[in-house]
Amino acid sequence: MKEGKLQTADKGTQTLNRRILEIFRERKGEVISGEELSTMLGISRTAVWKHVEGLRKLGYTVSAVPAKGYRMVASPERLVADEIAAGLSTERIGTRIVCLDETDSTNNVAFRLAEEGTVEGTVVIADAQSRGKGRLGRSWASPKGVNLYCSVVLRPAVPPVAASQLTFLSVVAVARAIELTTPLKAWIKWPNDILIDGRKIAGLLNEMSAETEKVNFVVLGIGVNINMRREQFPPDLRHPASSLYLENGEELDRNRFICTLLRELDELYAIYLRLGYGPVREEWLSRSQLHGRKARIDAQNGSVIGIINGIDDMGALLLDMDGREERILSGDVTLL
Amino acid sequence: MDIKDLKVLVKMVTETDITEFELENADEKIRIKRGTAPEVIHYQQPPVAPVQFPSVQQAAPAAPAEASSAPAPVAEKGQKIVSPIVGTFYRAPAPDAAPYVEVGQVVEKGQVLCIVEAMKLMNEIEAEFRCKIVKICKENAQPVEFGECLFIVEPL
Repeated sequence: MKEGKLQTADKGTQTLNRRILEIFRERKGEVISGEELSTMLGISRTAVWKHVEGLRKLGYTVSAVPAKGYRMVASPERLVADEIAAGLSTERIGTRIVCLDETDSTNNVAFRLAEEGTVEGTVVIADAQSRGKGRLGRSWASPKGVNLYCSVVLRPAVPPVAASQLTFLSVVAVARAIELTTPLKAWIKWPNDILIDGRKIAGLLNEMSAETEKVNFVVLGIGVNINMRREQFPPDLRHPASSLYLENGEELDRNRFICTLLRELDELYAIYLRLGYGPVREEWLSRSQLHGRKARIDAQNGSVIGIINGIDDMGALLLDMDGREERILSGDVTLL
Repeated sequence: MDIKDLKVLVKMVTETDITEFELENADEKIRIKRGTAPEVIHYQQPPVAPVQFPSVQQAAPAAPAEASSAPAPVAEKGQKIVSPIVGTFYRAPAPDAAPYVEVGQVVEKGQVLCIVEAMKLMNEIEAEFRCKIVKICKENAQPVEFGECLFIVEPL
């Protein structure tokens, strides 16, 4: 049983809410009698009614069909930890889910929880961020109610030098989730931007706490523009940006996207722990199609141009510069 | 108990599920706590050399911390703070921001000294103890190797 955090409910209510959501989900569209629910949940019919009322308050549309029972009509637009947890069947990721209406940055919250010892697989999700983080002081536009802003705490037993491999794991999970929930094709730019037709859809930023020989924890920060409208983008963007809605013309259920993403992340992380970096690297390479491409890499101390030879076993970009191979550890890639 | 024995003890404890370990006798008390917070090793035995934190490599070999060695060994001057990963060294949180630290500055335990980035994994390096920055060994935005010196500090 996964444990999520519900903003307003105690733990017993949480578990029951989740069971009810699971039942409605399994029997989508069916009318289920109060009596059947009361038997399945082991509570009185009055208690069933109370819980259904509770779900309505959380934004679920549950219709009561006289003399027949209840039917789930629609899930709320807002993000609900129980809704996400009910859709998960993961081993590690989502062991604990914390949903927030608004926070400064989910990475900050996750980092703090990790320092306090939160369990591996803790996921922090916010409906809005007031100071969404980008790389090196840049910001990530995080308007309310339309996108995904989440951070995942991992505690892998790998040396700090190998932790950069996790960057590639999370971006592959996001690419998979986009392709599983939309007809779009996600393309990965080194190391972990996701573009659709050349426009940036997702930004990922990871933070680590480590000692010389040991990773304390890694926070994987994931921002995906899901239902964001054109007017919600800031005017001064460095690169062309878009959302899944703008690319696909259809709104996407954010709870469904998150469930898919967390399941893919869980599977990839299990593979990583069992088989190492190899399979993740292979999938990343096939999705990025960078090999042999000419590129310019802009860093704070200047730019270099060369032919991309792939990535090494830490994920560093291998750039052939007139026969001399350079390992690139950071910077913005532009294909030429 | 000398540093070597203490190391063995810490290793033994960390290889088990024990989260807290305490040992006390006439002249020393050792407490090892782990789990929620980053590992903290308390070692009380006045006078004693400070137990070195893992991300700090000593510039000079550690003075043995035997109970018999009378005056407290003075904390070594010029300890190195090294990079735990291969990456790019940044002295400031953003290109147009002021550096985290300057030479001569006194920093508190837990204060951020720099960022080392590898493949968009950002690693903030913090001071493990109160110290004064003696030297900044790398230029901003330069690559650093694993174990390479980033700062020389003087513990206070």
